[in-house]
Amino acid sequence: MSNFEKVGDGYSLDLTLDEAQILINLVEQLLELLGEGDFFHHYDSSDPLAQLLAMPSEIVTPDDPVLLRLLPNAYADPEAASDFRRYTEPQLRGAKQKNLRLVREQLTVLVDENLGGVIEDIEADVWLKALNDLRIALSIRLEISETSFETFDLLPDEDPQKPVYAVYFWLGWLQENLLELLL
Amino acid sequence: MVKTLPKDEVSISELVDRPWITIVWDDPVNLMNYVTHVLIKLFGFSKERAHELMMQVHNEGRAVVSSGTREEMERDVQRLHEHGLWATLQRDDKI
Repeated sequence: MSNFEKVGDGYSLDLTLDEAQILINLVEQLLELLGEGDFFHHYDSSDPLAQLLAMPSEIVTPDDPVLLRLLPNAYADPEAASDFRRYTEPQLRGAKQKNLRLVREQLTVLVDENLGGVIEDIEADVWLKALNDLRIALSIRLEISETSFETFDLLPDEDPQKPVYAVYFWLGWLQENLLELLL
Repeated sequence: MVKTLPKDEVSISELVDRPWITIVWDDPVNLMNYVTHVLIKLFGFSKERAHELMMQVHNEGRAVVSSGTREEMERDVQRLHEHGLWATLQRDDKI
């Protein structure tokens, strides 16, 4: 069973190969949805000139419900929301991609060696945010509500959604596990 | 007949500069411990205060987590979005 552990000042994560593969697949999918490879990927958000040049004239509100939840409207007013999105969405998207890419990098080591094992030097904050974004993405696809645990319990084992629910709850357990070490 | 308030009791700058609030909304996904953790990290709340606000989000559907200028609230909302919390900003209705 996977586990975060406190090691000195940092954290480590013990994963089986199956778990590492599931995680890396989810990370890949979310990176794809967030538009990996677009040019915001390369721009340096700390450089004001680069930020200015990278600023598009308009960014449309995402149609995809997962993207809309990960990159939500900051205002109830559509015009204010759209204006805010234009100035801030590239940076928000970039921050999420950065976390996911760091997690992917650490998982790749395990998956490439075709072995489970321990990932050292876990940056708790990066992993918490990435795990949270993965859970949000799955929750939208599964239409998670407050009563989803009961829904999961009632699903027959052959239901194709059952393993997806299982992964969703596992991610929550993993995130909780890391949080308990922090709080 | 009306009486004007003494000058120092009317703070125009307070009305102009501080009428915005950041609201965190409830969702069925974010873990209670995670919301508490994020509130402590981003706003420097005590563990007790962060827990109280988290419970308010959970029970009442929303909680005001900060107030200030529009620019400050935009920054807070952006940081909350980076952490996956569902947040919006608006003028404070109370004023």
